[in-house]
Amino acid sequence: MIEVKDVSLRYRDGTLALNNINLTIGESELVYLTGPSGSGKTSLLKLIMGMEYPTSGIVRVMGQSIPEEKPEDLRNMRKRIGPVFQELKLVPGRSAMENVLMGIRFLDFSRQEIKENAADALEKVGLAHKADSMVENLSWGEAQRVAIARAIARKPGLILADEPTGNLDHDNAVNILNILASFRQKNTSVIVATHATHLIENQRNITIIRMSGGNLTVEKRGGEK
Amino acid sequence: MKNFIANLGYFLKEARRIIFSNMLSNIFTFLGTVLILLMLASVVTGWNIASRLVKMLEQEAEISVFFHEEMDEKKILDLTENLGKLDGVWNTRLVDESEAYRRMEEILGNDAGILELFEENPFKAYIEIRIDPGQLDTIVETVQGFKEIDFVRDNRSVLESINDIIMGIKTIGTLVIFAVGITTIIIISHMIRQGIFNNRDQIKTLRLLGASRTFIGFPFICVGLLITVAAGLLASLIMVLLIHKGYQIMGGSIPFIPLPPMTDLLLGVTLVIMGVSIILGMAGSLFGLSSIKEH
Repeated sequence: MIEVKDVSLRYRDGTLALNNINLTIGESELVYLTGPSGSGKTSLLKLIMGMEYPTSGIVRVMGQSIPEEKPEDLRNMRKRIGPVFQELKLVPGRSAMENVLMGIRFLDFSRQEIKENAADALEKVGLAHKADSMVENLSWGEAQRVAIARAIARKPGLILADEPTGNLDHDNAVNILNILASFRQKNTSVIVATHATHLIENQRNITIIRMSGGNLTVEKRGGEK
Repeated sequence: MKNFIANLGYFLKEARRIIFSNMLSNIFTFLGTVLILLMLASVVTGWNIASRLVKMLEQEAEISVFFHEEMDEKKILDLTENLGKLDGVWNTRLVDESEAYRRMEEILGNDAGILELFEENPFKAYIEIRIDPGQLDTIVETVQGFKEIDFVRDNRSVLESINDIIMGIKTIGTLVIFAVGITTIIIISHMIRQGIFNNRDQIKTLRLLGASRTFIGFPFICVGLLITVAAGLLASLIMVLLIHKGYQIMGGSIPFIPLPPMTDLLLGVTLVIMGVSIILGMAGSLFGLSSIKEH
């Protein structure tokens, strides 16, 4: 699903965000990226999204190498990803439903499927009753759930979520992580960058990637305690 | 394609939103486009009338070809026919001695009595050739190459003036149409770029989600088209009213320039303006959209 080999990422200002990292993530895997701010979590997610290109090394995501050879290769890869951005990237002046629809209109779904997927996604994140509310009138936590709904409505092969529980209360945060985790059963890999390590302490059958100063250590946690 | 058709409603809704999100700027763009198209409509109207003048002037371009006097009638007719086949020759006509005399009488008018001083008709028969004034030199050279030809009277200065007028009208018309086209494209593309700038966050997000350039850009093309087509309609309407008024005022007052039938003129101008609106709207939008980068 994802192969990262000897990858370094240095930004134009000289900051070394990722330092010669190696990583393999398989299908249906649930991965938590943890680590302090500036440890490289977001940089790794951006690399997988094709928002940044590696300074050195090889990145392959769902069979697509990054950087891509043709622009449409990157587009096609992105169509199969459900991203939840740290800064949400919702479009103001639109309702929650319109924001979710905006993320799936150009995918290969029928008109009926598009409507159903969007409504189901909002239902799953507990915002069906706010479908027609303008996103700027929602609380940050609610807006965060709209961003998650937009990602899961796409029925993606890979979900990349950057701090999806950052502003949610404990119950909502657990609920969101459970929703994201449930996608494993649909052959979807899920990568969640989070500070909320307390929420994953008791989770099983997951991979935890601890990042620090652009380096990483991988812990595979099995199904039994 | 299926996806595209299914999203037509969305594209139009987005276009409407883009227009309303920057209403004042779009109103000025609309009014500017109306004025430019109105200018184009005036040029097209002028062009239409001028092209009739050009045709009229072209029909006036003629040379007179004098042949050797000893030629018999059949040879003269053959020569007339052969000259008519030359490239750039509209038609040929044999003017015999008596017609030449009559024409001179008409030219002299009250002074025609002077011709009675001649015991015999002093005028010779000749062939009158109406030509394309742009090909004067070639035609004269070719005609002079015929062994039956004695000499050619080409009224060069008159023909050259006619040609200059025709070229002037054509050049000015082409330049104005070119200038109007470029100006409209610049205005529309600038407006589209402004729209793209205002919606840059949304465009960025859509790109990250994997939307194609066509999907992202189509609402902006709709905006460009809606504004230019609406501007075209208003410009056409104003021009129709102006032409109506113009015909009422000028009808018959300028007999040397024959005005075309009003319905033909109205139809022609409206078709040109609407066609140009659509083309310029598309071109301006596409030009503006080129600022959406792939990354």
